[in-house]
Amino acid sequence: MIVAKRKPLNEIAEMLAPYKKVTVIGCRSCVAICLAGGEKEVKMLVSALKVKNKKEGKKQEFEGFVVERQCEKEWIKEVEDKVLGSDVTLSMACSLGAQTIGDMYPIHLTFPGLNTGIFGVPEEQGVWSEKCVGCGNCIIHTTGGICPISRCAKSMLNGPCGGSANRKCEVNLEIDCAWAAIYDRLKIQNRLDLIENVTPAKDWSTSHSGGRRTYVREDARLTPHQKKGKEAVQ
Amino acid sequence: MKAKVQVVLCRCCTEMPALLNMERLQKLAAESNNVVSVMTVDAACDGKNLAPAINEAKEKEIDRAVVFACHKKDISPAIVKAYRRAGVNEFLVEFVNMREEVVLPHMSEPERAQAKAETKMKAALIRSIMLAPLERQTEEMKTRNVVIIGAGVAGQAAAHEASKAGVHTILLEKTGKSLKAPGIIMTNAQLVGASGYGGNLQLKIKAGEKIENLGAAAVVIATGGGWTTLKGPLAKSVKDAVPLYKFYEQMQTGSVPKGPIVVVDTPDPAGKTMKVQDYAWDDTLETTIELKKKHPETQIFVIFQEMRAFGLSELAYKEAAELGIKFVRYDKGGAPKVDPKNPGVLMVKDFAQGELLNIRFGTLVFASIPPNEDNKAIAEALRIPMTMDGATRRGSIQRWPVSTPRSGVFVCGSALFPKSRDVAKAEGAAAGAMAGEFVKRGRIEFGGIVALVTQEKCSACLTCIRTCPYEAPFIGTASKVEIRVQACQGCGMCVGICPSKAIELHNYTDDQIAEEARVLLGGDF
Amino acid sequence: MAERRPKVIGFCCEKHGMDAAVLSARSGKQLDASVRIVQVPCTGRVDGIHLLKAFEDGADAVFVLGCLEKNCYYDTGSIEGRKRVGYVKQMLTEVGIEKERLEMFNSASSNAWAFPDAVSKMVDIAKKLGPIGGGERQ
Repeated sequence: MIVAKRKPLNEIAEMLAPYKKVTVIGCRSCVAICLAGGEKEVKMLVSALKVKNKKEGKKQEFEGFVVERQCEKEWIKEVEDKVLGSDVTLSMACSLGAQTIGDMYPIHLTFPGLNTGIFGVPEEQGVWSEKCVGCGNCIIHTTGGICPISRCAKSMLNGPCGGSANRKCEVNLEIDCAWAAIYDRLKIQNRLDLIENVTPAKDWSTSHSGGRRTYVREDARLTPHQKKGKEAVQ
Repeated sequence: MKAKVQVVLCRCCTEMPALLNMERLQKLAAESNNVVSVMTVDAACDGKNLAPAINEAKEKEIDRAVVFACHKKDISPAIVKAYRRAGVNEFLVEFVNMREEVVLPHMSEPERAQAKAETKMKAALIRSIMLAPLERQTEEMKTRNVVIIGAGVAGQAAAHEASKAGVHTILLEKTGKSLKAPGIIMTNAQLVGASGYGGNLQLKIKAGEKIENLGAAAVVIATGGGWTTLKGPLAKSVKDAVPLYKFYEQMQTGSVPKGPIVVVDTPDPAGKTMKVQDYAWDDTLETTIELKKKHPETQIFVIFQEMRAFGLSELAYKEAAELGIKFVRYDKGGAPKVDPKNPGVLMVKDFAQGELLNIRFGTLVFASIPPNEDNKAIAEALRIPMTMDGATRRGSIQRWPVSTPRSGVFVCGSALFPKSRDVAKAEGAAAGAMAGEFVKRGRIEFGGIVALVTQEKCSACLTCIRTCPYEAPFIGTASKVEIRVQACQGCGMCVGICPSKAIELHNYTDDQIAEEARVLLGGDF
Repeated sequence: MAERRPKVIGFCCEKHGMDAAVLSARSGKQLDASVRIVQVPCTGRVDGIHLLKAFEDGADAVFVLGCLEKNCYYDTGSIEGRKRVGYVKQMLTEVGIEKERLEMFNSASSNAWAFPDAVSKMVDIAKKLGPIGGGERQ
């Protein structure tokens, strides 16, 4: 899922310093699960900022709450009054949420409280590691289920680089060499022959390198007739 | 319905009035919101003193009470019982410790103590009005079965003891060895799965090739130590190395072990996977003394890091040394290892002399043994925690020495850590007695102060499930978390950690805690 | 400048934490009256929110007192308590508040000194660092 991290509090405080009335909006989805922007984190952030203001003799008004999924306009619409009633909104969701609010109310100021992040797998409670960079063309069926684009520092497609040693990556010794892992995996699957296939150079146009991507399901789109009369979302 | 509070002020004989102004406290209580009765007693710890308060509680239809006295653990059971008879919910009776928090520690500051007492009273009364009545529940145990896993020394002792309580014992033995024990014995049987909670467990047992479902009220884990596996770098490098108990058994059959005999404390001298275990010393000394007496010509060495011959074993240590058994102490820097050039020689640096010794051996014996490999499977099946070294974890060495943190699941013997037969037997008897007593009750009681999930707020992040030691939260049919109330101990760990604040613990909700703190901080003292 | 009385608040677990406080009182130990205690079933119940709110509500110093980690009544509660305190200490540092104002302590119920030691340590810190933001107490 999307994993984000809260920005350092002093950075957030600086962002919000010029404003009097602040709404802090979190999200119950990905950022709650990765412990960055759920209701608890929102409440703690508001409290910490109030303590800071107490120290500096400043006065700001804070209101903090969460919505179910901040990237969906319907849920933002439900809290529109609170957003527009403030001088600035601090989004404690991933940047998708922050931008959804921003796009809905372009004159209103919406600032990001988190740094997004990675597509992360919870390796254990509290540890999320990146295993996908959204290249848009998944080939892990040929690599034993291990993604070389995200897990190899050089995104190699045909085996380890010359720097791989003791199953570790030469770029960062704390990273396991993805291709060593792929080799081990294909071995226990009895598919080592796959390693001998030469994968041609990757067509990166499906990844972000090709520019901002939009995924569409034509059959799911509402026709103009369907959209009419549904004022909530345009 | 409006809350009706009764305040009981205890004089603690003369201690309270000696420092505090009781009249002012009485007045403050009487003037507080929702307080309809203020009683003062000499000693709340004496049941007789409560009668007037209870009577007034009944008359005025009090629904909650706040007792200002001493430490609640000392007085609450009797008082709560008394209030129950007056129709007051047991969880609406609060105790405020004036004696140990306000009077005793501030004897030379009566004014500050008074202000503190008044603030505490204010906070307690505000808290009392925020509380909700809670109910305990009971559930009948569907069976009276105590399933004992492992028919070794500890398991058999557990079966004997449990059956004395009149419950049905079912002994599961992994091997096909023949046994005599009370109750049902299943050989070639292993636990492979479990669900439910202590009192009403559903077990999956693999007996031979079949899987059988068995209901049980309690389980005793007596799987023993890893007797048959010798793990550790030293064990790997010596063929035919033998664990101490096996060596002892061989001795009893009359066979003469090939000398010199070298007994090493652990097959893992660098201590990476195993700590040296205490039991080894009793049995090591007894075994080597017996051996030396039978075969005085055989050389015997005991290689150890720490000699823990406690109590009367010290005399055995003395006797062993006098008989000519050689004791060699090492530390991790000079741990014993087999000479790579000569597999029949053990190299070890003697700590006392600082010299490297080359000890030729005919038989290498290990005094300690690793944990049983079955522990992991059992722990997974029963969802109980393990220790860092792979043994079954007990609830608390002081309070529950033969219980796991999971209610109704007990553990004894070498499954915890290897121990001598006598101690294993005693522990087995203890676990069996506890299991028997637990099951004999016929019902389990739970509820009251337990966690409660508001499913709409739950993000199904699994954090509470991973944190709870008692397996209380679980993913329910709505793909959101539910609390298995029968297992919940009311600690609130899940409540404190939930990122979406979906769990609450009555009567320790965030609001209640925050409000109490706020009022206390608002006082000027 | 008038003498300001420090405000110290401790969240104590109902088990070993409170037992230690009670034992110290019964042993005759005298304490600075500035300390307030909030009882929780387990320090694992303590939420970072409570700790930060305590500072908001006027605390100069806050502590959490739980069982010894190897002997926690609820198995792993005081480990959780320690982690919560650690996280809030980090937050305090980020907003420029001295992290010494918040501390975690552990005690066995049989230790009569642990509670007075914790209290005197936190009272000293409260006196040394003063109220947050100096000036008037609310």
